Amino acid sequence: MEEQNSKNWYDKSHKIMLIIPLVLFLFSIIYLYNFNEKNGDIIHKDVSLTGGTTIAVFDGSVDIDKLTKTLKEQLPDLNIRVISDILTGKQKGFFITTKEDANKTKSALEKDLGYALTTENSSVEFSSSTLSAGFYQQLKYAILLSFIFMALVVFVIFRTPAPSGAVILCALADIIMTIATVNLIGMHLSSAGIIAFLMLIGYSVDTDILLTTRLIKKHEGSINHRVFDAFKTGITMTLTSIAAVSVSLIAIYSLSETLRQIFTILLIGLGFDIINTWITNASLLKWYMEAKNK
Amino acid sequence: MKLTFRMWLLGIAIILSLLMIINSTPYLKLLIMLLLLGSMFSIHYSTSRKKALFLSILMIIAAGVVIAYSFQSGALIKSVGKDSAAFSEGLRAGEILTFVNEHPIKSKEDYAQVMSGITFAENEIKKITIKTEKNEYILFANETPDIIVDNIHKTRIQTGLDLRGGARALVQPDITIDDTGMADLIQISRNRFNVYGLSDVQINAVKDLSGNRFMLVEVAGATPNDLEELISKQGKFEAKVGNVSVFEGGKKDISSVCRNDASCSGIYSCSANQEGGFFCNFRFTIYLTEEAAKRHAEVTKDIPADDTTGRYLRDKLYLYVDDNEVDSLLISLDLKGQVTTQISIQGSGSGKTNEDAFNAAKASMNKLQTILITGSLPYKLSIVKLDTISPSLGKDFTFLILLAGGIAIVLVSIIIFFKYRKVKASLALLLTSFSELIIILGVASFIRWNLDLPSIAGILATIGTGVDSQIVILDEAEKKSSTMSLKDKIKIAIFIIITAYATNVVSLIPLYWAGAGLFKGFAITTIIGVTAGVFISRPAFADIIKRLQE
Repeated sequence: MEEQNSKNWYDKSHKIMLIIPLVLFLFSIIYLYNFNEKNGDIIHKDVSLTGGTTIAVFDGSVDIDKLTKTLKEQLPDLNIRVISDILTGKQKGFFITTKEDANKTKSALEKDLGYALTTENSSVEFSSSTLSAGFYQQLKYAILLSFIFMALVVFVIFRTPAPSGAVILCALADIIMTIATVNLIGMHLSSAGIIAFLMLIGYSVDTDILLTTRLIKKHEGSINHRVFDAFKTGITMTLTSIAAVSVSLIAIYSLSETLRQIFTILLIGLGFDIINTWITNASLLKWYMEAKNK
Repeated sequence: MKLTFRMWLLGIAIILSLLMIINSTPYLKLLIMLLLLGSMFSIHYSTSRKKALFLSILMIIAAGVVIAYSFQSGALIKSVGKDSAAFSEGLRAGEILTFVNEHPIKSKEDYAQVMSGITFAENEIKKITIKTEKNEYILFANETPDIIVDNIHKTRIQTGLDLRGGARALVQPDITIDDTGMADLIQISRNRFNVYGLSDVQINAVKDLSGNRFMLVEVAGATPNDLEELISKQGKFEAKVGNVSVFEGGKKDISSVCRNDASCSGIYSCSANQEGGFFCNFRFTIYLTEEAAKRHAEVTKDIPADDTTGRYLRDKLYLYVDDNEVDSLLISLDLKGQVTTQISIQGSGSGKTNEDAFNAAKASMNKLQTILITGSLPYKLSIVKLDTISPSLGKDFTFLILLAGGIAIVLVSIIIFFKYRKVKASLALLLTSFSELIIILGVASFIRWNLDLPSIAGILATIGTGVDSQIVILDEAEKKSSTMSLKDKIKIAIFIIITAYATNVVSLIPLYWAGAGLFKGFAITTIIGVTAGVFISRPAFADIIKRLQE
């Protein structure tokens, strides 16, 4: 009886529920448009995309506040972050990032620290601004290509335009909402962060394909029943992914900027994917199936 | 308990991958393979389930014991100083050190400890006995042997620079060059690294999506301080008599160099020397330009013949690369003061055996020819990316990644178990994910792919999608249906998985070129993983689930 009620409820409200993703989507688009007007790009880029230097120093005894103060005089755009031990929380070292080149950054840091930086006590990563700008262009291009390839495969396999369009729309919504959120939390994207969006394309399409196949290819049970069945499977998939990503994120939180960004973006994206698959895609498909059956 | 074809396929894929991963001798590998295959056969052919389980577990344990035993003990010799006593005694990189002066060596730490115990007073000569798996070497030395050792790797998995430590430089010429130009650049750079004595260097040409060409230089381990200079220096070749420059490398002074032509280039004699080794001589002809030939005549015309043989001039022709002397040649008397465009460059190589000497001579001939042909680079290079990564970071990383992986697996299994409440199905799911991990690592070891951070992110993504696919299979099979058979349901599941696979793979393809290929690892591990998953492990998992349902 209860299930019956919930199904009736779903029949009535599935179109109304579309408002939630629609509002989120529109908000993200408007936000990104304004962001682009203000900052000249739709994301904040870190030094791996603008050019600059990252230095990690493995020294637990440095007073970070003091160092930040003195270093800022020479490197005004300085960013500093502590590396701490995952188990004890004790400081193990720190990262600095700046748009300056490696030699200038290194000598400024060496002067303040009072000792030379060697490969034993530090890691230095430098990218020139022209190379980074090229990387950024190409990674954007790669994302676009990936998206188009993915869309083509979806069209070829499902052959019907409306459901295929819904899958692609959901993947697009996932990406746009995630970019907006990443900007809102002030994250500066690195090249690895952009790769995370590629991973997101793969992950988000998985559940959409599951849902679409269960609805289109199977003819057993009511549409509501099929949606609900797919939901049970899909949500398990997403939850296991979220669990695995969260744990990984905690483990590498302070040590690797690269993996930290990848996992954070995946986590945000997977969250939006729940909304976009089970509200956007499910409602659109139900709408389409019912319209077709009439 | 007959195994299906797909199960056999998965089993064999796992066994082959394991053999790829472990670093062991061929015989032991064969033994491990037979034991693991044996365990599969015993499951396949035994009549009772208990017997099958007992036999197969026994064989798997035996294989484990062999694997543990096969990890060699000792320390791997990574390099031996070319001018050291150890080198002239015949000790070479690649041998496995087991004893120093009767102290057993099991790790590089052991070696460091034993060596720090041997101290030298001024002018004191000590006898040091070095035993390797192949041989015993007795050195009489007045200093610590010039040897670098490392621990023996238990696996053949290679980690990338961002985990292992090292330096990576992306170098871009200031002008546009084509494929052959890039090949020349790499050849010159490689030569240069050899001259400077850096051996663990990989140089590759990379091209990005916009068609830019780069030279990617990767140096493993400790980074020399002058790396930047080393990479971006132009590479100047000069031949001098005394202090006077006679000719330089490249087109300006050298019109052509004979190579790969037996009539004017080759190794012409090999013989034994007094110390029991061998040496071989090489000779090749170069053709100087008119201008350089005149200079040669001018410089040599006043040099007297040497006193001992009288066949050569007293001063030699010295060859320099970036102002470091690399070779010196005798100038034969009949060339004195002659405007000759044809010059025979000679040299030799030595080695312990005739073959070693031949190869050494051939190598140094090739090196010289390359320098003479290509000369110094006609363009400047700029380092557009330079990363030096400390080895100490890598250890923390490896630990944390294993920690994260371990906890993630436990968490996922808890979720799966609570969802399905079926121990066997949940276990099968975990084992399948684990098998995908082994296959990725096996293939990566086989193609000698260096696992860097993007590759690890790729492995995580694969395991994630792998678990997802198996959940799809499990759920399809679980569902009660009046009209569809189990087989049809599995078919639907496989359709979903293959579609997801296709979208996944095509979306990764652009990454192969984007960003000068530095993110290739992500695409490679993911494609290996999902491909193995879709064609090997996930179908086998479907069979296991069918078997459990029946």
